Amino acid sequence: MAYLFQPDYVRYVCSCGSVKPVSKIYFCRHCLKVRCGYCVCHEVDSHYCSNCMENLPSPEVRLKKNKCSNCFECPCCFQTLSTRAAPAPVRAGGNPSVEDTKSLAKPPPKKVYYLSCSFCRWTSRDAGIPDQFVATGGWPEQENPHLARIVALLEYHKILASRERQQSERKKFHPKRTYMQFEKFAMSSVMVRKRAGLCPLPQSQQSDYPQPAVASEEVEELSPDIFTQPLDITKITTLEQRLKHPDVQAEEINQLRPQHKQFLMKRSQRCRVCEHNVCKPEYSPQSIKFKIQLAAFYHIPEVRIVTCEPLRIGQTSELLLKLCNPTQHQTQIMLFPLSTSITPTTVTAAGTKEVDRENMQLGCESPNLLPSLVRQITVTEDPKPLKLSPQAEIILPESILILPPRDDAAEYDDTGDTHNFQDDPKLVVWRKGNKAVIRLLVKPNEDEQIEEGKEITVGFVMQYGYVNTIATLEHKEPQKLDLKIKLFLSIGKLVGST
Amino acid sequence: MSLYEGIRLISDKQTVVFDIGSAYTKYGYAGESVPRGIIKTEVKCPESGKIRKVFSYEDSQDLYQLLVEFIHLLFFRHVVVSPKDIKVIIVESILTPTEFRDTLAKVFFRHFEIGSLMLAPSHLVAVSTLGVSTALVLDVGYKEATLIPIYEGVPVLKAWQALPLAGHAVHECIKKELKTVLPNDGSDVEKTIEDIKVRTCFVTTIERSLKLQTDEPPIAPPSVKYPGVKTITVPGSVREKAFELLWERDNDNLSVPTMILDAIVKCPVDMRHPLAENILLIGGTTMAKGFLPRLKSELLTLLKSNLYSEKLKISTVKFHKAPSKANYTAWLGGAIFGIADLPLRCLTKENYLMSNRVPDWASLIDNQKSDSLINSM
Ligand SMILES: [Zn+2]
Ligand SMILES: [Zn+2]
Ligand SMILES: [Zn+2]
Ligand SMILES: [Zn+2]
Repeated sequence: MAYLFQPDYVRYVCSCGSVKPVSKIYFCRHCLKVRCGYCVCHEVDSHYCSNCMENLPSPEVRLKKNKCSNCFECPCCFQTLSTRAAPAPVRAGGNPSVEDTKSLAKPPPKKVYYLSCSFCRWTSRDAGIPDQFVATGGWPEQENPHLARIVALLEYHKILASRERQQSERKKFHPKRTYMQFEKFAMSSVMVRKRAGLCPLPQSQQSDYPQPAVASEEVEELSPDIFTQPLDITKITTLEQRLKHPDVQAEEINQLRPQHKQFLMKRSQRCRVCEHNVCKPEYSPQSIKFKIQLAAFYHIPEVRIVTCEPLRIGQTSELLLKLCNPTQHQTQIMLFPLSTSITPTTVTAAGTKEVDRENMQLGCESPNLLPSLVRQITVTEDPKPLKLSPQAEIILPESILILPPRDDAAEYDDTGDTHNFQDDPKLVVWRKGNKAVIRLLVKPNEDEQIEEGKEITVGFVMQYGYVNTIATLEHKEPQKLDLKIKLFLSIGKLVGST
Repeated sequence: MSLYEGIRLISDKQTVVFDIGSAYTKYGYAGESVPRGIIKTEVKCPESGKIRKVFSYEDSQDLYQLLVEFIHLLFFRHVVVSPKDIKVIIVESILTPTEFRDTLAKVFFRHFEIGSLMLAPSHLVAVSTLGVSTALVLDVGYKEATLIPIYEGVPVLKAWQALPLAGHAVHECIKKELKTVLPNDGSDVEKTIEDIKVRTCFVTTIERSLKLQTDEPPIAPPSVKYPGVKTITVPGSVREKAFELLWERDNDNLSVPTMILDAIVKCPVDMRHPLAENILLIGGTTMAKGFLPRLKSELLTLLKSNLYSEKLKISTVKFHKAPSKANYTAWLGGAIFGIADLPLRCLTKENYLMSNRVPDWASLIDNQKSDSLINSM
């Protein structure tokens, strides 16, 4: 798709206020609203190693600290390391040729393995790591030297916490305690209460208390060599290399050790309002397909800019747009000014009626029926402020454009079937299949001070007919709705004034 | 891996601990001995494609968007966990601007819908890594040096100190010295300067520092050929002098060592000796070669000087060694502190959505108030 590399000339305004190209938005078929990466709930579906494609259930991923046990990353350049085999060195002292002739069945030649980076040529041999006799596993693991101490501190803090919980329980029965004895420290009463609340008082020495750390007067002095010895910068690690291994942060290149490769994840996206998935990938790491993919691209008419005449202040220019209906149903498109409300409407016998699926859905299942504990609180986020404002006026047509459904077979049909639509010749300049090109007029604003060469944006609201095929309690039949979406188009740079 | 760790890793509750520094963010899980990673606190702006530091925000709306981008990256690229309804611990300085704290909480609750948030004061939790309850904690990071003494588990707030003497000031110094040789294009320069600092610069001794200002300075250390698109020569004098501004006393007599002594002076007399003999240094800048011995000799010199010899009857200073590297000691404190299940100290989603605000530190530290919050539920 050309979208991947193109600047975003045509952008749609999501329900959350984000402004994105059609390729980056979703369409929730349940809320009938546009959603995007910013306003959906992302969830981690599965973890996998991008090198060996192994995927593990999440408890195991946690146990392995989200790292692949087989694959390593180069500690210098962070690319994946490959395992290299080499013939085992001949044992010194012995006489292998004699042994070989003695044994009838020749043992397979021994091999040793080492890790090597094909990008920067780092090898585990450079780092002084002994070669291994098995291809996978067996590489020495570096353990944090402070682990035992930290575990003791962790245990101790758990005990402190339970004590704090007990104390706060007790406090409920003696709410008015005085802490006068602390006044001499001139601490605020707030801090005194805190002190009473949690602090590990030295007298409460217990067997579970880890040895407190002892501060020392001795400090490691700066080596006098630093003033005289030349520094070979190629042997000193960069900060980036150090931070990849936080507990070691080796200063010298030859102290670097290979690091286990981190798992990547596949994630699904869920509409935050109705909790339906708008995107769910297949579980297997090899698959690039989706179980659910409600991309807006399949539901909302796509708008592309064909051409736009040079833009001059106070002069009308012709703007040609190509519209495409991606759905299986015929749609009617109308364009309105930006200020139009974008609440969906439906035409019934009684006339045009506003529909708000979001509230309708919540209304369906009376929340009062659920016990208050079970009911999920809905978290709402403020909409993003819309920073775009158009610098040109756009003259919108009053007639409706009808686009037939998508028909893949018609793509190859050159007979020029125009479906005999009664098009407004001033509006429609070309049509074929589910696509049509329309002509609009734009006029850069005179009152605004726009510099030459500045990118000009125009905006409008597009109303499109949508057929909702998801059956709900009220609507068993497909329901016809008119949905609206705001669009912003970058139509080109200002050439100059008349 | 110990059995203990294994059990904890697969048990259901996972608490994510973040320490969002102005230069680097440390992330990982509570109960682990080391952060899963340390990354730069910056994001690529989705609109302009430029790299932006999260702390370079213009207003709270801008900060909100920067934090959404950054924390999304943290959750899905680095920590790799679904944020909905999880427990998050933020290790942060008590001196963090309210605007930042409020916006951060809003992002976590409103955008990522986390279950609960605990704000852990960095100086206080850093002490958790020692198993002691009294320490004078000096944090020299990127933007500023901050100090809060902890006495018997309580932050002595009235003695706090903060000065813009940290990594950023060192970078500015190197930038000024190497102005003529550095390439002049935006963000790469900052990266190069940081790299030069980390790999070649060091904190010199107090003796040499005194001589540096005289007419007969000591012979400079060897210069370093720094490779790149264009090879830069980093003169020995730059290597030696990069950190000097941390110790120079300006007109107000303010430097990193005076922060420590001024804080001690502000504390009651019985606290002074215990604090001087329990100094804990945290933050990446304290990891510079020679930082600790220099700090020690500066302190001892100052204690003997007219400035402090009357005010402070202290002759020894002692330093702690945390079971970590100084640039993630505060994070480790949060990871240890956060293993304890203390609902009183957590701000739950329900409470946040009801009150729509984060209690400030004065009331966070105040247990009584959180009690009443719980009771009122
Ligand atoms: Zn959105
Ligand atoms: Zn792997
Ligand atoms: Zn490499
Ligand atoms: Zn929905």
